[in-house]
Amino acid sequence: MDRSESIRWGQLLALPLLVSGLLLLGSQFVFLKQSIYIDLPFGKIASDWSFANFRRIATDPFYLRTLWLTTWISAAVAGVCVILGFPIAKTLARLQSRWATLLLSLIVLTSFITTVIQIFGLLILFRGDGLINQMLMGLGLIQQPFTLIGTSAGVVLGLVYASFGFSVMLMYGIVRTIPVSLEEAAAIHGASRLRVFRKVLLPLCLPGLVVGFLTIFNTSMGAFTSAALLGGGRVITLPVLIQRTMLLDVKYGMAAALAALLLAFVVILNLASVMVLRRLRHAQGVMA
Amino acid sequence: MRSAAFRSALGGWRLLTVAYFVFIFTVLLAPLVVVIGGSFSAPANDTVIVSYIQFPPERLTLQWYARIPASQLHALGVSFVLGLAVALAASLIGVPAALGLVRGRFRGKTLMSIILKAPLQIPHVVCGIAFLQLYYRFGDATNFYLQGTNLGLFLGHLFLATPFVIGSVSTVLLRFNPRLEEAAQALGASPWRTLWRVTLPVIAPGIFTGALYAFIVSFVDVPVAVFLASADTTTFPVELFHALEQDFNPSSLASASLAAGFAVLLVMAAQRLVGMETLLHSK
Repeated sequence: MDRSESIRWGQLLALPLLVSGLLLLGSQFVFLKQSIYIDLPFGKIASDWSFANFRRIATDPFYLRTLWLTTWISAAVAGVCVILGFPIAKTLARLQSRWATLLLSLIVLTSFITTVIQIFGLLILFRGDGLINQMLMGLGLIQQPFTLIGTSAGVVLGLVYASFGFSVMLMYGIVRTIPVSLEEAAAIHGASRLRVFRKVLLPLCLPGLVVGFLTIFNTSMGAFTSAALLGGGRVITLPVLIQRTMLLDVKYGMAAALAALLLAFVVILNLASVMVLRRLRHAQGVMA
Repeated sequence: MRSAAFRSALGGWRLLTVAYFVFIFTVLLAPLVVVIGGSFSAPANDTVIVSYIQFPPERLTLQWYARIPASQLHALGVSFVLGLAVALAASLIGVPAALGLVRGRFRGKTLMSIILKAPLQIPHVVCGIAFLQLYYRFGDATNFYLQGTNLGLFLGHLFLATPFVIGSVSTVLLRFNPRLEEAAQALGASPWRTLWRVTLPVIAPGIFTGALYAFIVSFVDVPVAVFLASADTTTFPVELFHALEQDFNPSSLASASLAAGFAVLLVMAAQRLVGMETLLHSK
């Protein structure tokens, strides 16, 4: 084909790269730079740079405890979503019925609704005189009404609601890429359902599940609705701390430093996981 | 004998599966049902005690819908228009980007791909604070302040949403059958005409899916908008967030139900236009 007549696909990238590159560099550069200036009163920052903000984060156990709290909450959320969601995703991916479409639509719907609305519902359900407390006390399971607000369990629950639909959608896509004939072949040769699941489907899905876990972990590390509304000021995760430092304490430098810590932590953890995953796949390939 | 045992084992398994589905979907949808149900619930007596809402409702009413505060209606409108603008702009950027990434043959493609998809790796709250500080700095330099403006929100959401369009269009492009294009060109169509008349229509479901996700990213976001919004230009999730932080008002149930109802319409439209399979496959 005549070269002048064919489309140079690479050139199509010019405008998108310009826009995305400017937004990426502009935003990330400014806040990363801000993180090395210490705060003065009234939202002013010092004129000389130093690593004082980071030194304070590294030496004050409060900040490290917050990072640890955010990490384990996010890991718990990702674990719950993957473990509870996978049977749903797997069944829906293999179900040949109109029910599958309806149930999938409901799953998609929950991810199209802002977490704030779901947490609104949770707040009503779990109120002192709410439905859940009434039911549990009616059954005699608890004597006193309990509350979710201010507990890390409540924050985890809110985050699970925020990510569950998305995690099922993700895992549904993964199961669909695995030919059903592999499971059928194993079943014909006498493998039980559980064995087919354990020996065929699960190993094939595993890399996808790890990616799914990481995606939800990432989302939860940066989410703040659940902790802000259900944490009740007692469960302070890193995103909530960043928002407070920025908007309530007007300490721009410290807020930027905390955000830099969160960003670095998530990016490094992701890179490490990608490398482990690659090695895992390589090892599997060698074994096969 | 054996087949009967096999069948009953299968029946037991099925029963277990159904029970699990009923449990998960009940738990998953309960908050939504409570919000929508509560929005139609009349207070026990006629003196309006706003801090109390009956669920399940004893008497039905539409009074909370009539009392939705103007600020919440305004925020619903902002969220809707903002989502549309973000979906459109993200598609205009994301479609050429996906074409370039999938079909281009040149050095440095990996780096470009990393730059274009970087927003997916950045925690949302970090995006929020980063854009707010960018706007402060930009405003100090140019006297043109973007924080608290619609344009500022739009740029922040565009940043988050574009990778979703690139992702779903790339997925569809990778499955594209090049013979279709070869046929068009053999019949005398120019490359650009082929792109416009053959390629784009074939990848349209991927574009629609990406645009839908872009809309949703903007429509449900809190951690970015909470930094960039102001009292005048606030999105619905942020408005509702502040309403929940302060005081419980049943009118919030009504506006939340409106947003949920709109999401139902979106899911139905998506199911009609591209089907669940494409929607879930081209992520």
